[in-house]
Amino acid sequence: MIRIRNRRNRRLYHLLLWLVVFIFFAPVLWIMLGAFKTTDGILAIPPQFIFVPTFDNFIDLATRPNVSDYFVNSIVISVTAVTIAIAVAFMAAYAFSRFNPPGTDLIMFLLLSIRMVPAVAVVIPVFLMYSAFGWRNSFLGMTLFYAMFSIPFSVWILKGFIDGVSKRFDETALVNGGSRWHVIFRVVLPQVGPGLVAAFIFNLIFVWNEFLFNLILGGRDVTTIPVSFSTDLYSDGGVDWTFVASMTTVYMIPPIMTVYLFQRYLLVGMTFGTVRGEV
Amino acid sequence: MNAVEFHNVSKRYGRNTVIDSLNMAVEADSFTVIFGAPASGKSTLLRLLTGLEKPDNGHIIMRGEDVTAYSPAKRNIGYVPQSFALYPHYQVFDNIAYPLKLMGYSRQQVAPLVESTADRLKISHLLQKKPNQLSGGEKQRVAIARGIMKNTNIFVLDDPLTGLDFKLREQLFDDMREMQASLDATFIYTTSDALEVLMLAENVNILDAGKIIEAGAQEAIYSRPDHVRTMSLLGFPEANLLPGQIDHDSGQPCCQTKLFTFPVTLNQRANGHAQVRVGLRPQDIKIAPAADADLMVCDADITLVEDLGGELVIYLETNGEALTAMVSYAAGRALTEGHTRIGVHPSRFLLYADADGHNIGQGTVTNG
Repeated sequence: MIRIRNRRNRRLYHLLLWLVVFIFFAPVLWIMLGAFKTTDGILAIPPQFIFVPTFDNFIDLATRPNVSDYFVNSIVISVTAVTIAIAVAFMAAYAFSRFNPPGTDLIMFLLLSIRMVPAVAVVIPVFLMYSAFGWRNSFLGMTLFYAMFSIPFSVWILKGFIDGVSKRFDETALVNGGSRWHVIFRVVLPQVGPGLVAAFIFNLIFVWNEFLFNLILGGRDVTTIPVSFSTDLYSDGGVDWTFVASMTTVYMIPPIMTVYLFQRYLLVGMTFGTVRGEV
Repeated sequence: MNAVEFHNVSKRYGRNTVIDSLNMAVEADSFTVIFGAPASGKSTLLRLLTGLEKPDNGHIIMRGEDVTAYSPAKRNIGYVPQSFALYPHYQVFDNIAYPLKLMGYSRQQVAPLVESTADRLKISHLLQKKPNQLSGGEKQRVAIARGIMKNTNIFVLDDPLTGLDFKLREQLFDDMREMQASLDATFIYTTSDALEVLMLAENVNILDAGKIIEAGAQEAIYSRPDHVRTMSLLGFPEANLLPGQIDHDSGQPCCQTKLFTFPVTLNQRANGHAQVRVGLRPQDIKIAPAADADLMVCDADITLVEDLGGELVIYLETNGEALTAMVSYAAGRALTEGHTRIGVHPSRFLLYADADGHNIGQGTVTNG
């Protein structure tokens, strides 16, 4: 840890940190400012930092055909897929944690390795499978795919949390007459709330941002916001920057708000429950 | 009638045999303590009893019925686990009421029962708190309250006082004896603390290396242990065990140790056993004794005096043997490190065969 004793040096240090933060945040800030500019304002050279804000871009966005569908698709697919994934992952994590079947470590590694495979390596086999099943351009297909992709990481996070809940809780409930379902849902589940929230948020952000599989497996009926950028990006022979800026701004609000509100759960999620007590 | 019986029960984990063809009977409505050193198999025994583990061999009989294949729920046992295992998302009231709620009792039915139990354990003021707001002693009382709430006649307490300070444990000893008497139920309690056995047990089962090596009334087992491990484990401070040899002096059997040679009476198990361990409780060694023709006396050096408050533990060395003695504070307050004389009544010597550890006789005063 860097220890800065001198007050002036400490100010310089903080200034440097703010500068780094600004550099990283600048593109986001730029696109958010762009959402409040006219087309000429966005493209003006030199760039405009002081301007009269306009809400025309948001009004245009709201009145465009399909934009509300993209939002509905994104919300419905991501929330449904992640909910299914968390439910399945919680049960699986409980089984791995409590019954510790032979090969648990290997299975856990294999589960996580699914997330290590580059998306482009599996997109063609999955495309062929979905074509054969007739699942392309369907809510069911997209939801199941994202649920499948979200389960491994969720199992990892939740197993860490469930491992942290003493087996004595389960045993006390069983001896007192509780069923295994009672133990899972009334004894363990309430104690791993932060883990569930962390797993939910991590996967929600992943599904919310996913582009490739929605582009390849999806279609007109299930287009999500990331893919809509590629389809609605151009107008009048050029890039429609006001659309990009306003759409991006609205698109970023849910994940930013979620991360802001639940950042303490993200910390425990990233440490697989090892700092659970901090929540 | 027995509340619980184990018939030839074994449990292995991999190659490790934790419970080895164990036979045990727990008398109904008794306070029975299962006592053994750490890792002797106590917790596994209770897990088999509660149904959390299934035995590899043998049968478990409860209330006259074979429950070996029964689930934990079906065995109808009240349970206090070793750790508190209080549900952090429930208030104390709901933790205590938990067994009854699982049995289908309504909150109205549960409330007076919880309140009376909480009152008995002096935790009424904690009912609205969450477990993370309680001290260790309070948590333990809540865990005991929850354990005894169940409407049943067999209660299992897995070393519930471990880690608590002595004063708190002493209070809980009284509470538990009182509860056992008022509930008129069988309490099965495990511990590795000899003091808890002496203060709590009506009956005691000594568990060693996965087997019950001795069982019976606590007073009888303490005063005349049948096995050298019982002699060694049960008592505070730990009993002295001296190597000895059985010999015959003018046709009368006697035992020779480095300190004393004394006449003995042998039982029918003594045949063929020459090498013995001579057991002697620290409380039976008299320091600087008054003249007594029956006492066997020898010189000793006091190496350390430990003050326990009301009693003194005295560490001695004599003829190359280390001994531990215990005397009251009044009797020993003038003692200092250095030379002294010690005396032992020969009848206090208990003889254990080196080969199998069983008692084969005891010292006696006169030849013949």
